[in-house]
Amino acid sequence: MADAAISGHDHERPGFFTRWFMSTNHKDIGILYIFTAGVVGLISVIFTVYMRMELMEPGVQYMCTEGARLTAAAAGECSPDGQMWNVMITGHGVLMMFFVVIPALFGGFGNYFMPLMIGAPDMAFPRLNNLSYWLYVAGTSLAFCSVFVDGGAGTGWTFYPPLSAQNVATSRAVDFAIFAVHVSGASSILGSINIITTFLNMRAPGMTLHKVPLFAWSIFVTAWLLLLSLPVLAGAITMLLTDRNFDTTFFNPAGGGDPILYQHIFWFFGHPEVYIVVLPAFGVISHVVSTFSKKPIFGYLPMVYALVAIGGLGFVVWAHHMYTVGMTLTQQAYFMVATMVIAVPTGIKIFSWIATMWQGSITFATPMLFAIGFIFLFTFGGVTGIVLSQAGVDRAYHDTYYVVAHFHYVMSLGAVFGIFAAVYYWFTKMSGRAYPEWAGKLHFWAFFIGANLTFFPQHFLGRQGMPRRYIDYPDAFALWNYVSSIGAFISFASFLFFIGLIFYSLFYGRKVTEPAYWGEHADTLEWTLPNPPPEHTFEELPTREMWDRNPHH
Amino acid sequence: MPVSDLTYEQGAPVQTGALSARGAPRLHLRLTPHKSLTPEGFVWFIGATAALIILPLLSVIGTAVFWGLLPFVIAAVVGIWFGLKRSWRDQDIYEDVTLWSDLVRIERVEPRKQPRDWEANPYWVRIALHTKGGPVPNYLTLQGGDREIELGAFLTPPERVALKDRLERELRPT
Repeated sequence: MADAAISGHDHERPGFFTRWFMSTNHKDIGILYIFTAGVVGLISVIFTVYMRMELMEPGVQYMCTEGARLTAAAAGECSPDGQMWNVMITGHGVLMMFFVVIPALFGGFGNYFMPLMIGAPDMAFPRLNNLSYWLYVAGTSLAFCSVFVDGGAGTGWTFYPPLSAQNVATSRAVDFAIFAVHVSGASSILGSINIITTFLNMRAPGMTLHKVPLFAWSIFVTAWLLLLSLPVLAGAITMLLTDRNFDTTFFNPAGGGDPILYQHIFWFFGHPEVYIVVLPAFGVISHVVSTFSKKPIFGYLPMVYALVAIGGLGFVVWAHHMYTVGMTLTQQAYFMVATMVIAVPTGIKIFSWIATMWQGSITFATPMLFAIGFIFLFTFGGVTGIVLSQAGVDRAYHDTYYVVAHFHYVMSLGAVFGIFAAVYYWFTKMSGRAYPEWAGKLHFWAFFIGANLTFFPQHFLGRQGMPRRYIDYPDAFALWNYVSSIGAFISFASFLFFIGLIFYSLFYGRKVTEPAYWGEHADTLEWTLPNPPPEHTFEELPTREMWDRNPHH
Repeated sequence: MPVSDLTYEQGAPVQTGALSARGAPRLHLRLTPHKSLTPEGFVWFIGATAALIILPLLSVIGTAVFWGLLPFVIAAVVGIWFGLKRSWRDQDIYEDVTLWSDLVRIERVEPRKQPRDWEANPYWVRIALHTKGGPVPNYLTLQGGDREIELGAFLTPPERVALKDRLERELRPT
């Protein structure tokens, strides 16, 4: 029988190394995820800034075979280095998809707040959680190798064969990229098993599935999508690896393989992946909108089932990424209709957010600005998505800048606005210090204007017919490329400002002791805890009154 | 049910030698932690996962790619299966309170650990509820025999209050 432990409560705090390198605490691991994703995000954004510098003027000024340059004024001949360009877009795509957005929202905020919201003391498997994080770090190193070794991997983040067979004889860069995705996939699979188990089996007594806060739901659906789609990707890229290195012919027509089949398998993963990226942001936005409208979230149950429906539909629409590969008319008609159906659950969410704000007493604090920005921009990106879902229209837009604009509106402006909303919403909860509100607002406006200036003109470029993934373009596209680059510089400046703001607030921010500092409508369980929450939380199971303060929804 | 009364169930208390000589106990409670995943929930979840993950396999049946995907798909389903089962097993912890007129015995059984027990004379047992200051709110401790023990640390705070009231009534019947 366990001895009583009244006096032995104040156990000693772990040292720095033990706390951050051997952590099994879901809150510490969440913070590690967020900071690592921030660093990788900065590097990945620097890639884009370099690309936008190159695209600012027609002709090639920076990425030269004679050596990469940082100033256009540098003297001498410059012959275009297309491989360097391809490596940049591949690095940007792989890093952003696998190593920035998923780790920040799912790994970081999911790890930190999902267990708190359902009243679990920690994740179901704390040591597995630690393994997930370090696998993610290892995968990131491999991804950087794929950019810098052997001339870099220039296949694009999709690794389509036969492009992925580039430089088999001389370069290991693509293999590094494949390993990077493998390791990050293993990390995400282990993470999702952990999160699913925690969500299903460690909810507080009485917290039924229809009572779980929306953010926890969104993390669970995301975990499930990862579990279902990543094994397929892992299988596909493993076969790609053997095709490259062991002369198998899974995707090589010379030996009876089918490169189109790779595209099918890849997008069976790839489409759920875009929902994996954005669903946690949906969860964050729901809480933020409710908190700052001072109203409970409108239509809780439809919101939950819309999440599940978006996840489910995400698995049956993959071929809309590949209308041009020569599918039958019937196949195209099916994928077109199925794709458009996704607008229904997404519309339910958008309208529920608007209905939550309707007649609410809205405070335009920074998280709310980002949330409203998210709703506006995500809807905008969704509308161009409907345009692209038309197989006939897609014939014209396929692989143009219109597609680039579309997916950056839903992901760069959707998911990333979600990340920033989450950062500002929970920053004080996690650090115990407030950020200066004016600085948050300045960051929002700079980023909102900059990002729109970057991506909105790309619709025009797409309609003019400018193709994706090219280092250079004719003079006809010069104007909007110039505008787009200016926008990218403004966004980059706002990101640097944000980094400064975070570190300033961490060290010099005003201390906040009130647990629910956003007011009483921030009513999930994490708001009952001090700022920052103690190392161990909810060894007591929370009571119903703590989390069910609006029993009518 | 986190606190279940097994007093009148047929053969409920697992008794050994000397204990069974005392006859049927006056009270037998079993304390278990809350598990939010039901067996039906497990079946539904694994079923839905398997059904959805089979979809890409169906589309590549008859090609070599099928065999490339299969191991990963199986690994994912097996992984979540073992994860959920393991989580259940980790929560297979219980404390049995058995009470006779002259003996109270508490037994704690945890997975992968030796069972631990504690015995005392109910007349001398002191029950204390530490509203604050313990590792959990409403921390319940029993003092008696040679040491002080905790009881039901995995229950919810209101459950521990109810448990204390019940034990106080039952330990010293009037």
